[in-house]
Amino acid sequence: MKYQSQLVAKPYFIAAIGLFIGQIIFGLIMGLQYVVGDFLFPEIPFNVARMVHTNLLIVWLLFGFMGASYYMVPEESETELHSPKLALALFWIFLVAGALTIVGYLAVPYATLAEMTGNDLLPTMGREFLEQPTITKIGIVVVALGFLYNVGMTVLKGRKTSISLVLMTGLVGLAVLFLFSFYNPTNLVLDKMFWWYVVHLWVEGVWELILGAILAFVLIKTTGVDREVIEKWLYVIIAMTLITGIIGTGHHYYWIGTPEYWQLLGSVFSALEPIPFFMMTVFAFNMVNKRRRDHPNRAAVLWALGTAVMAFLGAGVWGFLHTLSPVNYYTHGSQITAAHGHMAFYGAYVMIVLTMISYTMPLMRGRAAANSNRSQVVEMWSFWLMTVSMVFITLFLTGAGILQVYLQRYSDAPQAFMVVQEKIELFYWMREYAGLVFLTGLLLYVVSFFIGGKEPAQQNA
Amino acid sequence: MYSTTAVIEQRQDAPPGDLAIWFFILAELLVFAVLFVVYAVARRNNIELFDLHQQQLDRSSGLANTLVLITSSYFVMRAVAAIRDGRAHLCSRWLWGAFALGFLFLLIKGAEYQHHFAAGITLRSNDFYLFYLSLTFFHFMHVVMGMVILAAVAFKAQHGGYSATDYTGVETGASYWHMVDLVWLILFPLVYVMH
Amino acid sequence: MSGTFTKSMARNIFIGGSAFFVFLFLALSLDTVRALPDRDNRQNITEQVALGKKVWEDNNCIGCHTLMGEGAYFAPELGNVYDRYGKSTVAIKAFISSRPVEGIPGRRSMPQFNLSEKELDAVAEFLKWTSEIDDSNWPPNIQG
Repeated sequence: MKYQSQLVAKPYFIAAIGLFIGQIIFGLIMGLQYVVGDFLFPEIPFNVARMVHTNLLIVWLLFGFMGASYYMVPEESETELHSPKLALALFWIFLVAGALTIVGYLAVPYATLAEMTGNDLLPTMGREFLEQPTITKIGIVVVALGFLYNVGMTVLKGRKTSISLVLMTGLVGLAVLFLFSFYNPTNLVLDKMFWWYVVHLWVEGVWELILGAILAFVLIKTTGVDREVIEKWLYVIIAMTLITGIIGTGHHYYWIGTPEYWQLLGSVFSALEPIPFFMMTVFAFNMVNKRRRDHPNRAAVLWALGTAVMAFLGAGVWGFLHTLSPVNYYTHGSQITAAHGHMAFYGAYVMIVLTMISYTMPLMRGRAAANSNRSQVVEMWSFWLMTVSMVFITLFLTGAGILQVYLQRYSDAPQAFMVVQEKIELFYWMREYAGLVFLTGLLLYVVSFFIGGKEPAQQNA
Repeated sequence: MYSTTAVIEQRQDAPPGDLAIWFFILAELLVFAVLFVVYAVARRNNIELFDLHQQQLDRSSGLANTLVLITSSYFVMRAVAAIRDGRAHLCSRWLWGAFALGFLFLLIKGAEYQHHFAAGITLRSNDFYLFYLSLTFFHFMHVVMGMVILAAVAFKAQHGGYSATDYTGVETGASYWHMVDLVWLILFPLVYVMH
Repeated sequence: MSGTFTKSMARNIFIGGSAFFVFLFLALSLDTVRALPDRDNRQNITEQVALGKKVWEDNNCIGCHTLMGEGAYFAPELGNVYDRYGKSTVAIKAFISSRPVEGIPGRRSMPQFNLSEKELDAVAEFLKWTSEIDDSNWPPNIQG
C-alpha cells in the first residue's frame, strides 16, 4: 500500500461487511416467512423485511465500491487522495443516514414514514429498491457528489490510467442514473419505463464497468501481467457490456405497456449480454495462467476467479434462460426471476467487493502482502461455503420457479398463486437451509480476519 | 526490420488488420445473423403480410444502393493496394471516394425512409415494417459508423500516419467496411427481393 | 504487423460502440414515449387513479405483490386482480379492508393498512385502470 490516504478504504469495507451481515439476517427472516407465513407478523411484515434486505444490499455494495475506489484511485493516479477528511466525513454521513433509514423502515409503518419524511413534497417512495424517503435519496446524491469530487480531483492531479478512467466512468454513470429515481410520474407505464434506467442501466450497465475496473486492478496486482494487456481486455469487455446491455434494457419492456417491438429488440440484444461475462471468465483465467508471479494472497486470486465464473453463471447463463420474450411471457415475475437475481448479484457484485476486501485488507493492516496460511484457509472455506450454498439457493429457487410457472402460468388448468406457493414449499425450506449455510460462510469470512494475525506472512510459493 | 518474405508469411497467417476488430466484426455478424434468422421465422409465419408490404418497397433504390456499396468496397480495396505500395495520398483519395459513396447510400436510403414516414409507417405499423425498419436502420447506422472509420483512416493516411510497412489501420478500416457491405448484400435480397 | 492487438483500438471501439448504442436507445425511447398514449390508458388517469397510485406507493404494496410482473413474489400479481375478482372494485376494497390485524395463523399475512374509504376507492380504481393497460396480453391467464 503506497499512499497513506488509501487507508480510508478500511472503514468503508468494515461497514460493508457489517451491513452485509444485516442483509443476510433479514434474508433469512424472509426465507422463513415464505414457509411460516406469519413469522414476526405484524411487527416485521414481509415487505419491511424485504426492503431492509434489498436496501442493505445496495448500500453495502455502494460502501464497497467507494472503499474500492478510495484504495485504487490513489495507487493508480500515483498521488494521495484529494481529501481523506472528506472521505471520512462522507463515510459517517452515509452510514448514519443509512442506519436511520433502516430504523425508519422497522420502527414505524411505511405510510407513517412517508408522512414523517415529507414524501408528499416530492413523492419518490414506494417503488422496489427505491423505498428510501426522498430526503435519504437527496442525502445519497450529496454523498455521491462528494465522493465523485474527491476521487475525480485525485485522478485529475495524477496519472490517468485506463483502469481509473473506466472506474470513474462507471461511478459517474451510477450517480447520474440514480437521478432517475426522483422521476415518479403518475402514469405507471412511464414510471416503470424510467425506473429501469436506474435498475437495468446500473446492474447491466455502469456497474459492470466498475466490476471490470476492480477485477482488472486486482489481476494486475496479483498476476503481474502487463498492464497494457489487461487494460486492453478491459476495454473490449466493457465495450461488449454496453453494446449488448443498452438496447438489452428492452428485455424489461416486454409486458409493461411499451410497444411490442421491444420483444424483438430486447430479446436479440439481451441474449448477447452473457458475452462480456464469458469474456471476463476467459480473461481472468488467462491472466492467472499467464502470471509472472505467485502472489501470496491465494484467497484474493480465488475470489477474483470465482467472481468471473459466478457472474457468468448467475448473470449470464441464468439471465439468458429467461430473457427471450417467448420464454419470459411465462416466467415473468416468478421464482425464476428470484433465482437469477440472487446468483447474479452475488456472483458479480458481492464477490467483486469481497475480492477487493480480500486483496486490500492485509495490506491496510500492515501485513506483507497476504494473511497467514491459517487465515487464508479459513477465508477460502468461507468462499466455498458461500459460493456453493448460493448455487444451491439458486437451484432450489429455479426448481420452485419451474413448478410455479408450469402450475400457474403454462398448464391448461392454471392454479391460483397461493395454492401453487403451498405446493412448492419444499423448495423454499431447502432454500432456507442453504441460506443458513451461506450465513455460516459469511460468519467464517468475518472470523478469518481475526485469526493468525501474529503468524508470519505467507511465503511466496 | 523485417524481410519482405517474413512480412508476407506473417500476413498469410493472420487475418488482415487488428485482431480486436475481427472479434467485433464476428459479434456484429452474429447480431445480424440472429436478426435474419428471426426475420425468416417471422416471415414464414406471416407470408402474406410480408409479401404484401415487400411489394411496397422501392426495389430500384435498393438495387442502386447495392451497386453503390459494392463500388465503395472496390474503392476501399484500391485504397489498401495503394498504401501497400506506399502511396499514402492515393490511398486517402480512394478512401474519401468510398466515403462519398457511403454518403450517397445514406441519401438514397434516407429518401426511402422519408417516403415511408410520410406515408405514416413506423416501427409499430406491422411485423414486416418492424423487421424492415429495424434491419435497415441498424445497417444504416453501421454505414455511418463505417464512414467515420473511413474518414479517420483517410485523415491519418493524408498526414503520413501509414506507410508500406505499417498500414494495419487501413486494413482494419477496410475490413469493417467490407463487413458493412456484406451485410447489405444479404439484407437486400432477403428483405427486398425474395418472396 | 498483422494481428497486433492494441489498447487504443479497443478503447475506440468502446467509445464508438457505446455512443452508437446510446444514440439508438435514445431514438427508440423517444419513439416508445410517442407510442405510449395508444397503449397506456392515460386517458383514464383521473385524480382518483392518481391518488390510488399514491396509496399503492405509500403502503409499499410492491413489497409483497407484483404489478405487471414487477415487484415481490410473496403475494399474488395485482395487475389483473380487477379481472380476477370478476371486474369488481367492491371485491378489491373488501379484501383489503378485511385483513385481520394479527394476521392469519401460520399463513402468509397481509397487514391491515387502516385505509380510509377514499383511499380504498382510489387504490381499487388504480388497479382497475392498471388492468386496462395494453401490456401485450400479459399475464398468460387469470391467475397472474
